[in-house]
Amino acid sequence: MARYSILRRTIATPLILSALLLAFALIAWFVGSRPFNQTVIDIFLQVVFVVGLYTFIGNSGVISFGHIAFACLGGYVAAWTTIKPMMKGTAMPGLPDWLMQMEIPFWAAALAGGTFAAFWALVFGAVLMRLSGIAASIATFAMLAMVNAIYSNWSSVTAATSSVVGIPIVRSIWPYMIAAILAVFVAWAFSISRHGLALRAARDEPTAAAASGINIPRVRLIAFVISGAIMGAGGALYAHSIGLVTPDTFYLGLTFTTLSMLVVGGMGSLSGAVLGVLILSSLIQVLRWLEAGVQVGASTFALPGGVQEIALGVVMILILMFRPSGIMGNSELTGLRARTEKPVEPGTD
Amino acid sequence: MNDLRADKVSVAFAGLKALSGVNLTVSPGQIVGLIGPNGAGKTTLVNVLTGFQTATEGAVLLDGQPLSGLKPHEVRRRGIARTFQGGRLFRDLPVIDNLEVTGVGLGQSRAAAIAEAEVMLDWVGIAPLAGRIAGALPYTDERRVAIGRALMGRPKFLLLDEPAAGMSAQEAAELSALIRRIAGEMGCGVLLIEHNVGLVLGLCDHIVVLDSGAVIEAGPPDVIRASEKVRHAYMGSAADTDLPVLEVEA
Repeated sequence: MARYSILRRTIATPLILSALLLAFALIAWFVGSRPFNQTVIDIFLQVVFVVGLYTFIGNSGVISFGHIAFACLGGYVAAWTTIKPMMKGTAMPGLPDWLMQMEIPFWAAALAGGTFAAFWALVFGAVLMRLSGIAASIATFAMLAMVNAIYSNWSSVTAATSSVVGIPIVRSIWPYMIAAILAVFVAWAFSISRHGLALRAARDEPTAAAASGINIPRVRLIAFVISGAIMGAGGALYAHSIGLVTPDTFYLGLTFTTLSMLVVGGMGSLSGAVLGVLILSSLIQVLRWLEAGVQVGASTFALPGGVQEIALGVVMILILMFRPSGIMGNSELTGLRARTEKPVEPGTD
Repeated sequence: MNDLRADKVSVAFAGLKALSGVNLTVSPGQIVGLIGPNGAGKTTLVNVLTGFQTATEGAVLLDGQPLSGLKPHEVRRRGIARTFQGGRLFRDLPVIDNLEVTGVGLGQSRAAAIAEAEVMLDWVGIAPLAGRIAGALPYTDERRVAIGRALMGRPKFLLLDEPAAGMSAQEAAELSALIRRIAGEMGCGVLLIEHNVGLVLGLCDHIVVLDSGAVIEAGPPDVIRASEKVRHAYMGSAADTDLPVLEVEA
């Protein structure tokens, strides 16, 4: 038995992050306000997306601009499998009969969305993962544009750019919290797996990694598929949180927001991914509140529309200038203080 | 038959020949030296032997089977390991993880890779470094970690690219002893590329001398020592920086 116990050394991180997410859920539960409830649901969904991004970007070092495409795939799976058949017949008459008649629970749709997205991640990734650096990043962006173009034009199956409505709305915060916690644990499990270690080695020294026997495109592909599955499940739940989907729901806006959160939190850290969401979501909420207008004495103070996006951009630029590795850098939350990769001497565990 | 062999290997970059019909054989347990002035093509040959560079002509054979077309990770999985001039450690990872990466690269579980890494750290004599972050190590320790990493999975052949660069005479002597153990105890064939000609002459059973991409001499240390062609290749170098600068007790 190896003296190093990887699981024991690292389990604190997902547990702490889960406790943090549970705390948010409990606050929303105690407050009992519907808008606040929706805000916390949004935060949980962003956690799913950003943790999905982290699983690939954080471990591989390849910046992906295309992962929201997998959320789009998952979102439409939710529409195809949960809307009442009569409504589907009107909005999406080209669906095959078996899909037209399908009506499954939201959690099953999330699983189906994750599986569907994972399949397409495998197909796209088999080609894209052979690329490196900026070429790989641009190719992922091309993938996003392709998926968006297909879903915006295949009117008989996706209703093109029209909103697909009638997706059963799930208002309880608990399924979203469970999804966020599951995403955290999946990302953690991957990062401590042998494929996770191999991928991080390939990220830091690809030449030496290849000379160590690592098949770099293959380990990248594994991460791409797992992260695609997380994004797909998140996309399905996103559809259930608002009750509708359009191709543009899952396009540049969400790509920018989720990447900003990952950059701010720290691309090389699971804790950073979650903290990035919590910090930027809080900022976004405050700005939304200010955009809606605040009563100050006899007058109302309101920020102009679009300030949220500008503020996100400014925060991201400032982080890139002054702390390029993000708030957490490569460290993880492990209790009293953040932990950089494995400081423990062997034999002390 | 159980050899690593370069058979008339040539490499050309945009018409410029980096290697011309190079023959070289390493047998299990043998230490072969590869020396030559800067730009002789030594690292290019190592790159060809390990799948990082494709030969324009000729072939690389392992146990008589051609390795042509294999990617570097596939060559490694067939038992040919290498180190790099600059160390190329995974600098953000602890030393033990640097070794573990090779274990998982060769298909082991993490637990099995860690177990072997601990044994290998002891064997190489760097067990106290296990928990240190690789990027913070002194230069000479980096070299030893790189050798430990390459030895994971007990390769059939180990190609060491300038492992003694920057080492003192004492450190080079320790390295020399380690290389002997690798060949003797593991039965691993070693190809040693090294500018420290003193170390190579004291350590190797057979030495191949490259100059301008071609083999100009090959044989046991005594033949190399006495060779006019070798002397000319080194003395002819503009700054003579490749002359044996460090003698190591054999």
